[in-house]
Amino acid sequence: MIRAPLRPLARILRARENGENPARIEREARLKRAAQVQDRARARAETRLTVMGLLFVFAFASIGYRMATLAGSAPEEPRASVSNNPIIGLRADILDRNGNILATNLETNSVYAQPPQMIDPVGTARKLAAIFPELNADQLIRDFTGSRKFVWIRRQISPEQMQQVHDIGDPGILFGPREMRIYPNGPVASHILGGATYGREGVNAAEIVGVAGVARQFDSFLRDPANNGAPLKLSIDLSVQAATEQVLAGGMSLMNAKGAAAVLMDVHTGEILALASLPDFDPNNRPRPLTTGDASDSPLFNRAVQGVYELGSTFKVFAVAQALQLGLITPDTMIDTRGPLVWGKFRINDFHDYGSHLSVTDVIVESSNIGAARIAQQIGTDRQRAFLGSLGLLDATPVELAEAPGGRPLVPPHWSELSTMTIAYGHGIADSPLHLAAAYASILNGGTLVRPTLLKQDHPQAGPRIVSEAVSEQMRQMLRAVVTRGTASFGDVPGYQVAGKTGTADKPDPQGGYYNDKVVATFASAFPANDPRYVLVVTLDEPSETTGGAPKRTAGWTAVPVAAEMIRRVGPLLGLRPQIETPDAAGIQLSSN
Amino acid sequence: MSYLEYNVKYVPTGLRKLLYINWPIVLLLTAVSCVGFLMLYSVAGGSAQPWMDPQMKRFGIGMVLMIAVGMVPIWFWRNMAALAYLSSLALLVVVDVAGSIGMGAQRWIDLGAIRLQPSELMKITLVMLLAAFYDWLPVKKASHPGWVLVAVTIILVPTALVMKQPDLGTAILLLLGGGTVMFLAGVHWAYFVTVIGAGVGLVATVLKSRGTSWQLLKDYQFARIDTFLDPGNDPLGAGYHITQAKIALGSGGWAGRGFMQGTQSRLNFLPEKHTDFIFTTLAEEFGFIGAMSLLVLYALIIAFCISSAMQNKDRFSSLLILGIAMTFFLFFAVNMSMVMGLAPVVGVPLPLVSYGGSAMLVLLVAFGLVQSAHVHRPR
Repeated sequence: MIRAPLRPLARILRARENGENPARIEREARLKRAAQVQDRARARAETRLTVMGLLFVFAFASIGYRMATLAGSAPEEPRASVSNNPIIGLRADILDRNGNILATNLETNSVYAQPPQMIDPVGTARKLAAIFPELNADQLIRDFTGSRKFVWIRRQISPEQMQQVHDIGDPGILFGPREMRIYPNGPVASHILGGATYGREGVNAAEIVGVAGVARQFDSFLRDPANNGAPLKLSIDLSVQAATEQVLAGGMSLMNAKGAAAVLMDVHTGEILALASLPDFDPNNRPRPLTTGDASDSPLFNRAVQGVYELGSTFKVFAVAQALQLGLITPDTMIDTRGPLVWGKFRINDFHDYGSHLSVTDVIVESSNIGAARIAQQIGTDRQRAFLGSLGLLDATPVELAEAPGGRPLVPPHWSELSTMTIAYGHGIADSPLHLAAAYASILNGGTLVRPTLLKQDHPQAGPRIVSEAVSEQMRQMLRAVVTRGTASFGDVPGYQVAGKTGTADKPDPQGGYYNDKVVATFASAFPANDPRYVLVVTLDEPSETTGGAPKRTAGWTAVPVAAEMIRRVGPLLGLRPQIETPDAAGIQLSSN
Repeated sequence: MSYLEYNVKYVPTGLRKLLYINWPIVLLLTAVSCVGFLMLYSVAGGSAQPWMDPQMKRFGIGMVLMIAVGMVPIWFWRNMAALAYLSSLALLVVVDVAGSIGMGAQRWIDLGAIRLQPSELMKITLVMLLAAFYDWLPVKKASHPGWVLVAVTIILVPTALVMKQPDLGTAILLLLGGGTVMFLAGVHWAYFVTVIGAGVGLVATVLKSRGTSWQLLKDYQFARIDTFLDPGNDPLGAGYHITQAKIALGSGGWAGRGFMQGTQSRLNFLPEKHTDFIFTTLAEEFGFIGAMSLLVLYALIIAFCISSAMQNKDRFSSLLILGIAMTFFLFFAVNMSMVMGLAPVVGVPLPLVSYGGSAMLVLLVAFGLVQSAHVHRPR
């Protein structure tokens, strides 16, 4: 920067010549310079101010523009979409195999108070107590006038109640949105669905946590926002499930049973189409677990999965199937059934005396304990244990229920030869009805293992082979004979060719030994017999059919008619076409004219 | 140029000062506050309680304070600048220390009648001290690195304290307010270009660090950025405010739904409906026209401040006026941008409209300083 000198020599000299004071010139120059500095500063300040002004204008313009675009936009609704906030994530629906809703969410509200903001705590408390009769007005007044800053009033309220509370108009009463888990079908499939409760609770949301059944098993799936609300699709069929439960409930009361369970399973895919346990409950209003007594007396107890029972003669099927597979016998081999069969101190008896010999088919048809025990003796302990293990009868079922690991089979601690013999007719081993259904499905579907599942499947399971197709076919014929001419004659349903095996097991007395008058009656069936599609297991706990003279407790009188009625009801629902077995047409002349 | 170098020909004295007050600004401030009263009345569902009444009282007190501050000569305030700054700083430290000694995160000091937020006070005293500093500093030295460092220290110390509270919104306001005064005081361009460049670079680095082992921000902070960029991603969680606010603005349309007819705020869809998000109520009930009118009122306040600063030959006065105007501008610009999704959600109230005592009182006192500078300007 070129600066003008403060004392320009030429002017100073001229001023001196004129007799003027040169200091005046210097003062002028100084003033001039100060003015210049000032002008520059001002110019710069104005530039800066202009820049600021432009920024202001730009900011105003962009805010105004944004306002205009927003005002011009249609009100957008929030997309139900991925949420990062774990407490708020929408819980996915649960559907049955046909897409019917089994569990969904309802938007409700919670109501809470912030007493410091309340205008009329006492009046508001009285009005609230009038709207919610279960609230205590005095308690509310104490809460509102005390030092509390926050008071929950109700966790869930209906829209009508919300309007009434809103009409009170006190600013200290506030609402928070809240999801509620709804099971629209009430108690139907209650043991499968389990139920849900609130976990962490906040004013703006509450976390829903599954407490049992699939709700708990798939809790993280249902809550995972990454699934984008994809529903959980179960294998069960709502109408089949409802029919099963209805028939089972009727049968339970007719047979005076204290509990009942039914499992309907697809033999190829392992899909459970219906799974019922009675007594049941409403998952919308889940009862509290029992704190005293036996957990199995609670309606929460899932007899079909958690309940392990000695399933009696239904197990004979496994002994015979294995012996057939091993080539030890054929269906026509004669078995010595003279009784009693004495083994050490233990005597094995039959229900009736069946004479000295029965064919293998008749051992199943007539349900001979002695015959089954003799066949098991031929098989031997190790092979029997391996076979039952391969059918999954020695471990908890892998079904997708939180309770499933609790249904662990009871097996003899020392698998002696006597155990081998008793297990052949279903004593000394305790399994759940679901175990039985899965094992029957594995034997009757052509001989490959299926594992029970509650999730909808698209393909048949390709499990390892358990028995050959020939053995599977032989077992179907034997079980069909049980229905046509054996212990399960009440089980014949015209058109559906039921095949099955009864089992009546004495209940063990906790004091030791077995009760004389308490049994678990089971009918494990498959239909249609020529190409089984479904397995149905019906178990009644302590049934007693009293229409005749002496009470009848055997499965043939109790579980079988219930199962038959069930097949009659669900067969059409499953889309099975009734197959009319053509009678022998020899004597009938068909004439067209 | 300072008063020391001016020949002040005429300064009004006594009650005559009232005539020289910048009345347009007073009227505009009152108008904006009245909009606030209306909105608080509406948000409470048509009731003066619990928000409108206290707010009106505070406005009354604030107005009296503003006039009183305006009557005190500006040179007194200039001399007090350093003291005011140091006391706010001390209060900030007190709050921080008290907060760390187990009283929880606390940003205010309870004075009985009102709760004073030292960070609010700081916004004004920082501007005051910087204006006084550049008034004292010869213009030639304004760009000297040493003197720039002094100014930067003056800004950064309280910013760091506020950041620690943690109150990101106020920290940004302090930084931008202080920076504006430095910019207007004539500090060299290069400094600002460097700082802005470094800032952009830092942001880029921070965003790049995401997901790596040297991640510079916490996950929830990244989540906030994500939410800001696309609030639809998380409409019920962190994006809730913004989504609801957008719905409110959209449903207001051009002419609005009518006074007290807003649904979003009255049906409690919006939390903070009476404080930081009160603008949504206005936009819903009075539509684009109402929102734009409020924006125009704010713009007029800024315009009158700029014009007052331009008339004022005193360097301290003009810097102070512009600094306060900038602070005020940042308040509502950040708030409106935040509500409309132009900026991330940081807790900044809508000045004079949002419910809240501390902010309103401090703002009115700040405008008292503007008045004082206007009344006592060299003529």
